[in-house]
Amino acid sequence: MLKPGDKAPDFSGRDHNGNPVKLSDFKGKSVVLWFFPKADTPG
Amino acid sequence: MILGVSFDTPAENKAFAEKFHFNFPLVCDVDRAIGTAYGANVDPQKGAQRVGVVIDRDGKIKEWHARVDARAWPAEVVKTL
Repeated sequence: MLKPGDKAPDFSGRDHNGNPVKLSDFKGKSVVLWFFPKADTPG
Repeated sequence: MILGVSFDTPAENKAFAEKFHFNFPLVCDVDRAIGTAYGANVDPQKGAQRVGVVIDRDGKIKEWHARVDARAWPAEVVKTL
């Protein structure tokens, strides 16, 4: 599993408005990834 | 910069984002590639595990948490950036 100091795997995808999102777009900034199981579910 | 990530479609996440007025993008990882790379695709039958990751300015992992509090964690971690 990923450990502090590992290179963050690059990725690309689309956001909820259809805009392209790439990790490398945020070079030079801190990025928080917040995974969630299913849109609009509690817990 | 916060990015929410789930395995939902753009339509599902758009409804979710609008309901809760999220001010950050929700990435639609429908093929689970991001979830797999970051250890959140634990059970292929289920949605993403609530993994939380902080990536530093150099593109390296600063923090990786297997399970974070859904509501509190994003706001808390942003204060530390």
